[in-house]
Amino acid sequence: MEPMDIVGKSKEDVSLPKATMSKIIKEMLPPDVRVARDAQDLLVECCVEFINLVSSESNEVCSREEKRTIAPEHVLKALEVLGFGEYIEEVYAAYEQHKLDTLDSPKGGKFSGIEMTEEEALAEQQRMFAEARARMNNGMTLQKQSDPDHGFNG
Amino acid sequence: MRQAGTYSAILSGGVSGRTGPHSLPLARIKKIMKRSGDDVKMISGEAPIVFSKACELFIEELTQRAWMMTLQGKRRTLHKEDVAAAVMATDIFDFLVEMVSDSNGTQMAPATKSNISVAER
Repeated sequence: MEPMDIVGKSKEDVSLPKATMSKIIKEMLPPDVRVARDAQDLLVECCVEFINLVSSESNEVCSREEKRTIAPEHVLKALEVLGFGEYIEEVYAAYEQHKLDTLDSPKGGKFSGIEMTEEEALAEQQRMFAEARARMNNGMTLQKQSDPDHGFNG
Repeated sequence: MRQAGTYSAILSGGVSGRTGPHSLPLARIKKIMKRSGDDVKMISGEAPIVFSKACELFIEELTQRAWMMTLQGKRRTLHKEDVAAAVMATDIFDFLVEMVSDSNGTQMAPATKSNISVAER
């Protein structure tokens, strides 16, 4: 696949990773069951089509509510409209779980920053400056040790 | 995530629930979303997360239904025709009818139109 293919000029070019899909498929089945290659490919195509379908509907739901950004609520509504209402509970639970997960990590989510101590922030800042300096020097000497006397008190 | 899906119960004697943390890549999902239409609005960062789970559930359901077709045919290998048969037998998969017919050239008719019904809403 050439680099330009990744940009994708048509719908057909963008698909889902086979390895991940394969795992999801296989986990649903008993271990001794085999899945023909063409069946697997078809399942992936169906999934892409599913995204297309739900995306279109989500887009419409969003328009009807006169919003400019497709939000999770629109997607959930779309699922219901299209007959996939039974997914909603699990999908919503996964969404809530994800929000919790990203809250915990210092780097994740919009609510981070409070978690990082001043020390960590300082270290991070020094590291970034060191990298920038190295780039400026055309990578001649990568300054691993930042000058500890630099006053970064903010 | 170890939530046992609603559909695990359908598959008797098989693997129930999912064990791995496999998630579909959000960037890829977002890309597909953007191409789904000519006039797609901006997509919130959280929307692909919702899609990721929805896709998993979708694939699980389609796989399970296809597998039931395989069992009916007394086989141990899931073939494309089983996927097609599952699509034909399920109302909410109507949007896939063309896709599975196109790949085969002709519509695949299952041996018996199975009475698989999703729980009544």
